[in-house]
Amino acid sequence: MRRAFSEALIQLGRSDPRVIFLTGDLGYQVFDAFREEFPTRYLNVGVAEAQLVNCAAGLALEGWRPLIYSIASFLTGRAFEQIRLALGYHRLPVVVVGAGGGYSYAQSGVTHHAQEDLALMSLIPGLTVTCPGGPDEISALLPQLVRQDGPSYLRIGRFGEPPVPSSAPITVGRGRRVRSGERVAFLTTGSVVIPVTRAADGLAAEGRAVTVCHFHTLRPFDEALLAEVAAHAETLIVVEDHGLRGGLRDTVTRWLVTAPPHLAPNRLRMIGVGPGDTVILGNPTPDEVMRRCGITAEALTETGRSAWTARPG
Amino acid sequence: MIPVPIPSGLTPSGTGLPATAAGIETLRRDARRARATCIQMAHDARHGHLKSALSCIDVLVALYGGFLNITPDTLCLPGRDRFLFSKGHAVTALYAVYALYGYLRPAELDDYCRTGGRLPDHPCRHALPLLEMSSGSLGYGLGIGTGMMYGMMLAGKPGRVVALLSDGECNEGSVWEAAMFAAAHGQNRLLAIIDYNGLQAVGRSAELMAPTEIAEKFQGFGWNARTIDGNDLEQVVETLAAVPFAPDRPSVLVARTRSGAGVSFMEDDLAWHYRAPSAEDLAKALAELGVAPLHREQP
Repeated sequence: MRRAFSEALIQLGRSDPRVIFLTGDLGYQVFDAFREEFPTRYLNVGVAEAQLVNCAAGLALEGWRPLIYSIASFLTGRAFEQIRLALGYHRLPVVVVGAGGGYSYAQSGVTHHAQEDLALMSLIPGLTVTCPGGPDEISALLPQLVRQDGPSYLRIGRFGEPPVPSSAPITVGRGRRVRSGERVAFLTTGSVVIPVTRAADGLAAEGRAVTVCHFHTLRPFDEALLAEVAAHAETLIVVEDHGLRGGLRDTVTRWLVTAPPHLAPNRLRMIGVGPGDTVILGNPTPDEVMRRCGITAEALTETGRSAWTARPG
Repeated sequence: MIPVPIPSGLTPSGTGLPATAAGIETLRRDARRARATCIQMAHDARHGHLKSALSCIDVLVALYGGFLNITPDTLCLPGRDRFLFSKGHAVTALYAVYALYGYLRPAELDDYCRTGGRLPDHPCRHALPLLEMSSGSLGYGLGIGTGMMYGMMLAGKPGRVVALLSDGECNEGSVWEAAMFAAAHGQNRLLAIIDYNGLQAVGRSAELMAPTEIAEKFQGFGWNARTIDGNDLEQVVETLAAVPFAPDRPSVLVARTRSGAGVSFMEDDLAWHYRAPSAEDLAKALAELGVAPLHREQP
């Protein structure tokens, strides 16, 4: 995803002379090509997240389209008020890019765990929150975010993730159908869509074709697609690499209890899969964190299978 | 350099700083008028950070009365000087100075703190688009100013960026993050003015920050600094005329001011950070200033 981001950035640099990239002293070698091509539009402000955001706000007030880059946990946490006021309150077109979202930096320790980034960014009125599942979604979403008139957040993961296996168009604010089936629907955000799709394919091979819907945009949330899925499902299994509160599980829960009954019937059951409300100590690898939360193709297959067999109460 | 088109001939010009004693005297009268206006607004709205507003009046009068190259008709021009009012709580001072120099109609000052009005308690750009930024939370103006300056330099736009900060605001780390950036980029068209009135919301600046000169702190960050009596308009004008203080560095003007300046019973008294003047306080203050508020016929 990081590679896709730096390549999309270069394309944007070429097509839009207003684009300017600011980093909080991160992204070693990742942006060398951009920097070489656009030396004055590459700006390292140093390890200073408040300045990163405020400086971008000043640039946006002057008509530029800044993208700001740091580690997700640092940028969204430490500079929360700057994002809220300088970008949100002022409604400025700045793309906030958080690298290493969720537990992709799990082994770097708790300081680098970004399990609140989506929640924090979703709290700010008017801020678009995106969490792409793969490099293809980064490439497609980034130009759309830069063209928007307001602020946005883009969470990116690591290197080497595969593309999202869906032919649905990639549009900000719209979810994507990845697999179609019945009874059980997996809902995902971020790169967990890959193990989920693997699990869905395994279930289909057993004769249990389930639905997979992927939401790369958490805000504004595609409630129409969720309603469409809910109409043909008995169980929703919501999977995310984010803390318990303020992410996809919360979004779906809120919809379930507030949507009119003809859209969210009482028979619908929801199962949440993801990190709990906890600080993860002990230096686990990202894969180990995912394994502990039940986000592996095997565990998800089992979750899907038992949901399929369980009859709604 | 990025090809951002700039219409030619659009560098606005303000009136320029006064060079004569008579000119300074006019500014002094303007400052008294602005003070009377602030106190009337605070009295009417039963609200206002008067001590913070009164301390920075002279600086604002010198900026809008001559230093800034803007006029009410040239606020959209790309070559204008950008003024960032970072100490948003002192906004009655800014509104009064706006009215003084034609950016607001004096009658509009009655809108201060009115629900739905253009002049809220902390300045809001959505309500009043002539503002370059909204403020209220401290520590924003300098950082936003550095970004504007970078963007202006990149686009080849003339014009300077001036940010007015309070001394208490300099407690914020974001001020120093911005100071570091501005110096690293040699932003010589950036001017920070610190309204050093010595009093914060509930404490004294000298006790809350290390007992070193604020000018030295900025110098340590690579700025060129001058410290003056910020309530002496002659010094303010003379020092502003010397901006930039160095050809390759950002400038900081430390304006040593008196909180509540201009009204004897409000000076250096912490109570006037939040207190609204009573009718009696108002009458006493206006008598002392000897001028009427801009939006009232008589004191």
